[in-house]
Amino acid sequence: MNLANFKYSFVALAAVAGVFTSCSDSDDNDFDDNGSKVVLGNNRVFILNEGTMGMNNANITYYNPDKSGDIIADIFKLQNGVQLGDNGNDLIEYNDDMYVAVYGSNYLARLNSAGVEMVRKEFASDADFRGGIRSIDADNGFIYASFYGGVVAKFDARTLEVKAKLTTTGSNLEDIVVEDGKIYVANSYAIIDGVYTYLDELIVVDARTFTQLPSIKVTSNPNRVLEADDKIFVISNDYSQESYVLQMVEPRNDNKVTVIGYATDMAEDDDVLYLVDSRTDYTTTPFTTTNTFYSYDIKRGSLSNTSFLRNAPAELASASVYSMAVDDETGDIYINTTYYTYSNGDVYRFRRNGTFVEKFDCGGQNPRAMVFMDR
Amino acid sequence: MAELHVRIGLSFLAIAGSLPMFSQESIDSLVLSDVTVTARRPTTKITSGTPVQMLYTDNLAAIGVNDLADAVRRFAGVNVKDYGGMGGLKTVSVRNMGAAHTGVAYDGVPVSNCQGGQIDIGRFSLDNVEMLSLAVGQDSDPLQPARMYSSAAVLNITTARPSFTRGRNFGGRVEVKGGSFGYVNTSARWWQRFSDRWTGAVDGSFSRADGNYPYRLVNGSAVSTERRNNSDITSWQGEANLFYTPSDRTELKIKAYYYSSLRGLPGALTLYNPVSTERLWDRNAFIQSVFTTRLSPKWRLRATAKYNYGFNRDREKGNQFEGGIYKSVHLQQEVMLSASAQYRPTGNLSVSAAQDGYYNTLSSTMGECPYPRRLTSLTALSARWTPGPLDLTATLVNTFITESVRAGERPGDIERLLPSVSVAYRPVSSEEFYVRAMYKDSFRAPSFNDLYYERLGNVNLRPERAKEYDFGLTYTRSLGSWLDYVTVTADAYYNTVRDKIVAFPSTYAWHMANYGRVTISGFDVTLAASVRLPRSINLSVTGSFTHQKALDKTSETTKNYGQQLPYTPRNSGNAGLTVATPWLTVGYSLVGVGQKYYMSQNIPANLIKRYIEQNLTLSRELNFGKTTVTLRGELINFADAHYEVIKYYPMPGRSWRLTASVKF
Repeated sequence: MNLANFKYSFVALAAVAGVFTSCSDSDDNDFDDNGSKVVLGNNRVFILNEGTMGMNNANITYYNPDKSGDIIADIFKLQNGVQLGDNGNDLIEYNDDMYVAVYGSNYLARLNSAGVEMVRKEFASDADFRGGIRSIDADNGFIYASFYGGVVAKFDARTLEVKAKLTTTGSNLEDIVVEDGKIYVANSYAIIDGVYTYLDELIVVDARTFTQLPSIKVTSNPNRVLEADDKIFVISNDYSQESYVLQMVEPRNDNKVTVIGYATDMAEDDDVLYLVDSRTDYTTTPFTTTNTFYSYDIKRGSLSNTSFLRNAPAELASASVYSMAVDDETGDIYINTTYYTYSNGDVYRFRRNGTFVEKFDCGGQNPRAMVFMDR
Repeated sequence: MAELHVRIGLSFLAIAGSLPMFSQESIDSLVLSDVTVTARRPTTKITSGTPVQMLYTDNLAAIGVNDLADAVRRFAGVNVKDYGGMGGLKTVSVRNMGAAHTGVAYDGVPVSNCQGGQIDIGRFSLDNVEMLSLAVGQDSDPLQPARMYSSAAVLNITTARPSFTRGRNFGGRVEVKGGSFGYVNTSARWWQRFSDRWTGAVDGSFSRADGNYPYRLVNGSAVSTERRNNSDITSWQGEANLFYTPSDRTELKIKAYYYSSLRGLPGALTLYNPVSTERLWDRNAFIQSVFTTRLSPKWRLRATAKYNYGFNRDREKGNQFEGGIYKSVHLQQEVMLSASAQYRPTGNLSVSAAQDGYYNTLSSTMGECPYPRRLTSLTALSARWTPGPLDLTATLVNTFITESVRAGERPGDIERLLPSVSVAYRPVSSEEFYVRAMYKDSFRAPSFNDLYYERLGNVNLRPERAKEYDFGLTYTRSLGSWLDYVTVTADAYYNTVRDKIVAFPSTYAWHMANYGRVTISGFDVTLAASVRLPRSINLSVTGSFTHQKALDKTSETTKNYGQQLPYTPRNSGNAGLTVATPWLTVGYSLVGVGQKYYMSQNIPANLIKRYIEQNLTLSRELNFGKTTVTLRGELINFADAHYEVIKYYPMPGRSWRLTASVKF
């Protein structure tokens, strides 16, 4: 066969495929800004600020990465006329909509690309969901959620109707991810007779039949879970060790668990894990925190001990890092710091190569999650 | 404090004018016609170098004040944190130094809470209380226990002392109250004089309320009316007192007290989630005795002993708890012994010393409770010298705290020597005008929660240190027959708190730390006046105003540096007006609180609006021989202000209360 012909036909095939893909992409890239009271940029960053428990001050801040100073704090209240509620725990993006899980107020809502609320599901009066919604993930037209009280549920992504609900053997569940038709949830702790007891497993549920599968044993007190390159990454807040433990779980390798190192938070893009290990020395007055930033190449399975940040502002070396996120479109890295109830937190933005771009007030307390939307 | 109570009658006789005193040796007897002594009770300790304010419960009842928290917030410079409803937690912070810096004493004996470090004044009833006093620095009773010298401020609760109408050896009072939101309160009291030397008193009260009051919820642009739920309270209280007075030089008082309550804890209201299931059982019992004797004209001694038992059980339901229930139990016990002595070498010099010992324990079912045992020794030396127009007091307090634990690390011993001085100067001998100044060093030790709370506690905590500087003026006078008295006080102050114990923000895990620094500056003005009008009508006015800056001075790089502390309004004040006529007494009261922030950062999102709460009270007293019947009706918050003291703990709107009381 003439290789050149093959190449051209291959290119033609790719081009045709590209047209079809870009058609569905352009459907995806049609933002729904209906009901918006403001004009937002073509690229949008939304920050979920958890707030302080009991203070009803969770909110969502909008940031335009292309226009300096274009920040709207509490865009949820601006668009919807009411407050987001108490304890915002998770924010994800799916099909150009945003989904927010508010734990204290105990509800799940779908917002459009401008933050206007489309539909909400409140759980306070439901005996199973009363423990409170914690974390969400989206897959295949459904939203999957974890709840305190050991419950995992599946909602229609459009209407938020409950499609399936399961009270697992777990207790207080944290981060949830869906990978290859299975739901993995961190089973973090239980309160037994008023005493906190830390647990050590990932609960696994079949996403279709909604039945529980054998759990995977991990380090004590798993909290953060994310999925990349068909692998599950878990951070366990094991207080008995020198810092939090980062592990890799391989479902395709018989659920093998490997400890990678110590990390207190993580973010992922393009099969690279961006990590920070924050350690606090309680013997000094006041306490001093030291942050070590490093990365893990998932495909190669190698740790890089140099920081992925080049010229970070000095205070970042000892700030309280609350979350990290990477813009999947541009590769920009965001490090979010908190001052807990004392004041609003800050966002530090870096380019993919680690050069510092800018720092800004995140508009609320405890910046917990970020969502990137691109037209 | 007890001394003042017994002597109060005599000092007023002195003020009102001289009365012929007849000695036991006279053989001619003179029958005097009944003399009515009208004298006013002071609202401030006029000659004291430290600012002391006083409130009397019957005056408070006339303006519709029925509970301790409501009374205390009428003192100038006081910030009461009220979590709402009849059963809500209420703590008092004086000049914004923090609730743990305010000492509370009940009939001269200190009340403590080593678990949380701050006293919940919500659970003291006013039913058998006669007077409240608030002293910044310390009070001037030379025989008070050493602990009363060691706080930055002291709230003294004084109960009514049995008094009998002529010809009777007994007395009693029964009172019934009812009000909005299912409020019912009944109390009964019996006073009995057994002999010349023995007197007894028994008090009991029962109180309950549904607490499901409506409130207005403002959520962005959505305004709705909701109802508080799980806000009920039922409580029982009883007290028995025994007084033994073998001579006018010696007195022994024994008191036994019991309190029990069950209440719902509604918590902060959470938007979109009205579920509230937390319940709290509380039991407190103590027995205290105070023995005072005057050994000679120059020597007086006092011995105090107390045993206190405190129990609380917390329960909450939810599927986030294994078995669907969360339970925790705390048990605190305290044994206190104190001895004090006063020596008066000359008429204007008094030297006193007090030595206290406290033994406190805590047991709790919460994780990793180390069962701490704390031993505290407090020694106070005080001298008061009054040469001419000057009144000088100097005090030195030594505190030593040592703690042992059953498991885990134990905190280091604490030893502190703290001085304080105060002076009052009367420049013109014919005028009751005083210029005052005070300086005091005080501290507050870390509470058991601060040290041992699971994961949060830190056994390496040091105590918080406070310094207070006060400069004030007091003026009182009467005028003719129409102005009974007018008393004005003005105080300017500057306080600092260092090593403030706060939950320190760090990444790995929250930990208590000595981290905060606060500076407080402000001024208080108080006014009290009583005017006699024709037709036996009496008008009395009280008012106070506070302006205060309480600023965070912890770290210059933080966003809240130099900003007002949470829950500290810049301006606040209150006023009360009582018109007493022979047919009816009308009382009006107003409390106004300026805007404040509910979190550290002073931004619009954290603002709590200012509010004014007004009460109207009508009361009528009917006399039937030796029996007095009092009827009272109150309209509380009659302007229906919708306000909150603590964010998301809404306070009730307009409500009513009726009281019927029979005293015989």
